[in-house]
Amino acid sequence: MISVSNLSKSYNGVTVLNIENLDIPAGESFGLVGNNGAGKTTFFSLLLDLIQPSSGYIKNKNIIVSESEEWKPFTSSFIDESFLIGYLTAEEYFYFIGDLRGQTKADVDEFLKQYEDFFNDEILQKKKYLRDLSKGNQKKAGIIAALIGKPDVVILDEPFANLDPTTQIRLKKIIKDLDENTGTTILISSHDLIHVTEVCKRIVVLDKGETVKDIQTSQATLEELEAYFNK
Amino acid sequence: MFKRFIALEWKQFSRSSYFQKGIAIKILLALGALYFIGMAAFMGVAGYFGIQKFMPDKDPITVVNNFVIYWFLADMVFRYFLQQLPVLNIKPYMVIPIKRSTVIHFLLGKTSVSFFNFLPMFFFLPFSITSLVNGDYAVINVVAWFFSMLFFTLSINYLNFLLNKNNKVFYGILTVLVAAGLLQYYQVYSITEPAGYFFNTIYEKPYAVIIPLLLMVMLYRFNFKFVRKDFYLDGAISKETKEVHTQELTWLNRFGKVAPFLKNDVRMIIRNKRPKQVLFMSFLFLFYGLIFYPQESYQDMPAFLAFASMFVTGGFLMSFGQLVPSWDSEYYKLLMSQNIPYREYLKSKWSLMVVAVVISFILSTPYIYFGWDIFGMIAAGALFNMGLNSFITLYGGVLNQVPMELNVKAKAFSNTQGFNPTQLLIALPKIFGPMLIFYLPYKFINFETGIICLAVSGVLGLAFTNFFLNQIEKVYQKQKYKTIAAFSEKK
Repeated sequence: MISVSNLSKSYNGVTVLNIENLDIPAGESFGLVGNNGAGKTTFFSLLLDLIQPSSGYIKNKNIIVSESEEWKPFTSSFIDESFLIGYLTAEEYFYFIGDLRGQTKADVDEFLKQYEDFFNDEILQKKKYLRDLSKGNQKKAGIIAALIGKPDVVILDEPFANLDPTTQIRLKKIIKDLDENTGTTILISSHDLIHVTEVCKRIVVLDKGETVKDIQTSQATLEELEAYFNK
Repeated sequence: MFKRFIALEWKQFSRSSYFQKGIAIKILLALGALYFIGMAAFMGVAGYFGIQKFMPDKDPITVVNNFVIYWFLADMVFRYFLQQLPVLNIKPYMVIPIKRSTVIHFLLGKTSVSFFNFLPMFFFLPFSITSLVNGDYAVINVVAWFFSMLFFTLSINYLNFLLNKNNKVFYGILTVLVAAGLLQYYQVYSITEPAGYFFNTIYEKPYAVIIPLLLMVMLYRFNFKFVRKDFYLDGAISKETKEVHTQELTWLNRFGKVAPFLKNDVRMIIRNKRPKQVLFMSFLFLFYGLIFYPQESYQDMPAFLAFASMFVTGGFLMSFGQLVPSWDSEYYKLLMSQNIPYREYLKSKWSLMVVAVVISFILSTPYIYFGWDIFGMIAAGALFNMGLNSFITLYGGVLNQVPMELNVKAKAFSNTQGFNPTQLLIALPKIFGPMLIFYLPYKFINFETGIICLAVSGVLGLAFTNFFLNQIEKVYQKQKYKTIAAFSEKK
């Protein structure tokens, strides 16, 4: 689904990301871990064509993302609060995203029903603009909006941060569900090793812009990761 | 303690991103400020002699006193819409060991050094001095009068703080003003006469300066109490969260593919402080013609009238349009990674601008009073705005990559948006285009041909809408990464 070749990004001669080769097959749940500055967000930004690669390219379903926009209809993402429109209510935001992804209002309403638990009555009909919601609730709205319209590729940057424990558990369920019952390719970055090993079938560790580990998740993965980061 | 506060303020000022934009912008800003100061000073001196010349039988200070109530009322309205209150900045001081009263005094003191307080002084001071030098006035009276004006100005400053923070005060004042306006309009009771009498009395009895002084102190104390009582995160410094309702705006669906964007744009304008401010400013542009049309001297310079006519209907177009991608800077990454064709996005903005021109044009019908020539000019100017200015403005917008905080009022003079050389170059055709297109045919043929040429240029522009939008789209595409990077910078 996604293939990276000779991708690098540098700012003023300092290389912040350098991935020679990385293939993410369709339907995989892919986890990206690494310390601050490892290049996770840079990688996602390159994948979404928000920054220009210094060399190499990323292909999303055989489309070079920096050359064509054809990947946009089947890719969706939630990176940070700048993916929310602060002056909209949650409903208006969902309908707007729905509009962009060819979903009618009724489609969106139907879709949102399955996430009532996840929203925990804190998102819909709250009579508040998104900018007035708490960080955690903003995140909930953003994550669910990224799932509207059955995208083939979903990219979530640090989805577990700022969420309360109950919501974290519910989010894990949603992601696992998506992974097992649909063909969605899911890319997640996280600082929480436990969560990421639980929901991702494959984990890649980035360090200073390079891939240092590429693991198919198993019972031993969490220990291996903890050992690695406890250096 | 105050010294430290001031040091922090200075750092905030000198390190803010707009101030580090290079020498050219600083010079431009300084020139802009000097221009306003100069204008005010000129008005002060010229005001004195002007009144003497045109109303030789009247006393200049009395004349000013008779009309100063209008100035104060206008000042109040302007401040309400334009003056930014520095309220949110006190959050970091809440938990460190500084007395609350010190922080509040500083906060209120800070509002006093606003541009809005200095500007009137640049009129009253030169006016007072000119009066003293040229007229036969008692020094003590003029000095006391000057200070009265200063205290009134500061009173309005503190009143504005309350107006912004306290709904009761806001609606109270609003009711009083509307009532007074209605009484005046239906000639039941004229408020301006007693107001003039009041200000003249203050001038005649120098000790009466105590009245505005007391008023100011009272308002200050009131503010102090108000903030002191509510000095909590969820109190006076909290952002207001009003209960809001989802607005479907289904009537916009008829615009087809552009509809989702149009809906958002409409919501953006009505739900954020900054765009509301722009809306208010563009409303003022409607009155721009009043400066030019009544004056004899401009009747022989129709190029200037063409210039003014373009502004009458172009206020929103220019003030909104020049900030086009900036309006969406807070969520630009979303727009760039979602399934959004740039064209629809641009077209939505363009449609808004065109609709605004049409509305302004309808509102400008009273200008028929100045004759059909003038109104014809306004109509031609409106067409020029729709057909050409709209595209030029959109084109210029993308070069203006300044992130914007939507729900924060712009500070007077801290807004450098639009102050870069390219932007200025792009402003030239907007201003001189209509003048030239009108003036050349006017000079060589006649007035009507000038108007027709101006109108036809606009219609031609409209005919090539698709072509222009395509070109602009290309520029936006090219600037994409630069724009994203600029918008994700800290404000």
